[in-house]
Amino acid sequence: MSFMSKEIRSRASRLTGRRVRQSASAASAVLLLSAALTGCAGSAKADSDAIQASGSTTVAPVASDAAEALKAKGLNITVATQGGSAGGISQLGTGQINIALSSKPLSEKDHKAYPDTDFVTTQIGADAVGVIITKEVADGGVKGLSKAQVAGLFEGKITNWKEVGGPDLQVFVYDKEPGRGTREVLDKFIYGKDEPPAPPKSANYAIVGGNLETRNKLKSTRGSVAPLSTGFIDGHPELVAVPLEGVAPTLANVASGKYPMTRPLYMITNGKPKGTVKQYIDYILSPEGQKLLPKHGYLTREQMGL
Amino acid sequence: MGLTLERPAQAPGPTLPRPSSGSGRGSRARWVWGWAYSGILSVLLTLAVLLGYLVTGIASGTVDWAALFTSSTWNPGTLAFGGLAMIYGSAAVCVLALVLAVPIGWAAAIALSEYLPPRLAKPLRLSIELLAAVPSIVYGLIGIMVIRPFVADLGDVPGGDSLLAAGIVLAVMITPTIVAVSVDALAAVPGRYREAAYSLGLTRREVVRSAVLPQARSGMRAGVLLGLARALGEAIAVFMVIGRADGRLPESLGDIFASLVRPGQTLTTKLAGPEPMLAGTSGPYFAALCGLGVILLALVAVATVWGTRGSTGRTARAPRARRSSAWLRTPKDRVTTVVRLGALLLPGALLVGMLGILLARGGAALNPVFWFSPSEGAAGGGIRDQILGTLLLLATTALIALPLGYGAGIVIGTRASAKTARVLETLTVAIGGTPTILLGLAGYVLFCTTMGWGRSWLAGAVVLVPVVVPVVALTTAGRIRSMPAEITEAAFALGLTSSQYVRSVVIPYTWPATLTGLLLGLARAAGETAPLIFTATVFFGAPALPTGVVNAPVQALPTHIFTLSQDSGAPEAIAQAWGSALVLVLITAGLLSLAVLLRNRFEGARRWTT
Repeated sequence: MSFMSKEIRSRASRLTGRRVRQSASAASAVLLLSAALTGCAGSAKADSDAIQASGSTTVAPVASDAAEALKAKGLNITVATQGGSAGGISQLGTGQINIALSSKPLSEKDHKAYPDTDFVTTQIGADAVGVIITKEVADGGVKGLSKAQVAGLFEGKITNWKEVGGPDLQVFVYDKEPGRGTREVLDKFIYGKDEPPAPPKSANYAIVGGNLETRNKLKSTRGSVAPLSTGFIDGHPELVAVPLEGVAPTLANVASGKYPMTRPLYMITNGKPKGTVKQYIDYILSPEGQKLLPKHGYLTREQMGL
Repeated sequence: MGLTLERPAQAPGPTLPRPSSGSGRGSRARWVWGWAYSGILSVLLTLAVLLGYLVTGIASGTVDWAALFTSSTWNPGTLAFGGLAMIYGSAAVCVLALVLAVPIGWAAAIALSEYLPPRLAKPLRLSIELLAAVPSIVYGLIGIMVIRPFVADLGDVPGGDSLLAAGIVLAVMITPTIVAVSVDALAAVPGRYREAAYSLGLTRREVVRSAVLPQARSGMRAGVLLGLARALGEAIAVFMVIGRADGRLPESLGDIFASLVRPGQTLTTKLAGPEPMLAGTSGPYFAALCGLGVILLALVAVATVWGTRGSTGRTARAPRARRSSAWLRTPKDRVTTVVRLGALLLPGALLVGMLGILLARGGAALNPVFWFSPSEGAAGGGIRDQILGTLLLLATTALIALPLGYGAGIVIGTRASAKTARVLETLTVAIGGTPTILLGLAGYVLFCTTMGWGRSWLAGAVVLVPVVVPVVALTTAGRIRSMPAEITEAAFALGLTSSQYVRSVVIPYTWPATLTGLLLGLARAAGETAPLIFTATVFFGAPALPTGVVNAPVQALPTHIFTLSQDSGAPEAIAQAWGSALVLVLITAGLLSLAVLLRNRFEGARRWTT
């Protein structure tokens, strides 16, 4: 049956001499599609009044709050967090966004990767990264960690808390994804300028992304440890930021720079901020905007002596 | 039917005087082919873009393929790109999922088709088809809220992030697919085989084993392969529970079991992580990621194409002669009945359990205020903007995908020779099975970076088009093929040109099938997360409706759930995630019910759940 109809169809097309027209319509189809695509590209130069900010999940809550506050003044700001600090910087370098949110300073590599971009950094505040452990472990005797001990934990060499004076409990390491500002701060603390080694192949090691995900997993895993902004454990008594080299991440220690894992929080633009972007950043630098930082557990510029 | 049979009789009216040359009145439906070929071209274009993206990526830096396949060290800092641990992760997760899902799925399908009375089987089958279309983000949410803690308690796994958890989530996800496709295969076995077997005095178990299964085997195997393709390509649901730890390989054979309760990484979760954004768009890092994409695409393509091939090209293999002992025939039959009906309880329990969890925890969604008020802050208020965003994406996708998919279906169904049709169909199936994370990444590089759109709703909609087009094209082509030859013969005997034939005969005959396909495709697109997180959505601040194309992101339900469930700890955020999940399921179910209604109203064809 279907054979018959095929036969008929092909005969019909031969009879009416459609072959030529068929290829012509195929060609017109190509034209149509390409025209549609380029047409879209051509008409795509509108709607540039919205400010695009993207990057670190550490900076994002502050950026979102400021954006919410400025909405009333008619400023349209979007905040995205895909990819963390490095994701924000690379998107700024490729011209996709107006502001990169970063919880780490720019590196030589960033300048080299995007030579055409004139990165201008504006520090909006600071934050301390803590090595966060659970209360159970802290109460069990882990009252502080040395640099070597932290390295041992994150390299998978220390696998039980009793090796650092804690309870007999397995260590479970949550490390941050590559490119996250938090991880780079930890790497800098442990390894200085050296390249960190590949992640360990130990059994008790998993990767986390954003700060809230890190906090969730810390809370739900016994004996876990992870680098996390200390601002994120305020109000969560089951988590403890352990003192490093004998220095606790208190406000005074962070402001004075005594605490080793302090990091600046930045908004990075391509060239000096202008227009609405400037208005946005200025708002965050203003006394009103600076109030947003302690709300999320960060330090203001004033506290850092800027 | 009456409607479709009348049309061809009316159609030739105005065109009776046949044109002798190419010009004149006969070529009034010339637009047909321009349109149909645009459709098939869009399929080829998608494939070209996808391959182009991967190939240019690979060409932009050298890929050490040997290392990619044999080394397990992945460290971009030292340019060490070994993918073996990810390949192992993908394989382990899929094998786990299949081991759990296949026996249950097959037994449940047999119970549904051979044991239950039709009155009971029909609604059950419908609910399983609905389950098969539940967005994977919802399964991911259930994974993170239910399965992770379950695994943590079960195997003394700290936190519960492990290959095992991912395998269970995938098993739960693909069981409905396997059941639905297998039931179709079983239902296609003619009743006379069963009657003959029963009349020989066989027990029910023997009838199933020796008369039904040999006929349905290839179709049931196809269901497994389609399930496997879905499991291989799934990114988001796995991403949330696997722990994403690189470089894990079991050190010995005995270590394999231990490795299952440890965190790991699969090909898809690597691509769904932040690394594609960090790698830029050239260089060895990007090339290595593209290499992973190629491996993934190849694996999924093999599973999909093999799976669909098995179902269409049914080989009539002679049933093996087997002498089964008569020992304990009746007790054996009873035991099998109990086991099979028991297996059916699992998907049933799954359905009830999922609905229960969704209703209990996402109860907020039942309040209309939740639907119609905008969100406040990151996790408060309603989800009006997310619903609007999802609807906008779906509407735009439908507008683009309907003509393209319809056109492609017409070309496959009417135009091509058997061989080309086969090739085109296979290509379409391959596109339909493409891991959506790859579509998202290709869209990100093409639209957001190269064309400079930034985050754009249109990019998101375009990226969803390849998800919908194959479903529309394949249902249309299938419908055209089932067209009675008399209609075609009559049309050509009346002197219709082939384009007039398409306009006046094929389109009136197939549109219900096409619309059904569109709704099914949209139901799938509605739940897609992976393509959108890179192209169309943002964390905060997108307006309810965008005003342009460039830098005009929207918010969508699946990505909203993803962000909330991953990046949130607050109880109200969790409540909102569940509420959003329920809304998403309701939207999907609405689309599906419409499709089922259309299907039941206009045609008897099945075979659409994949």
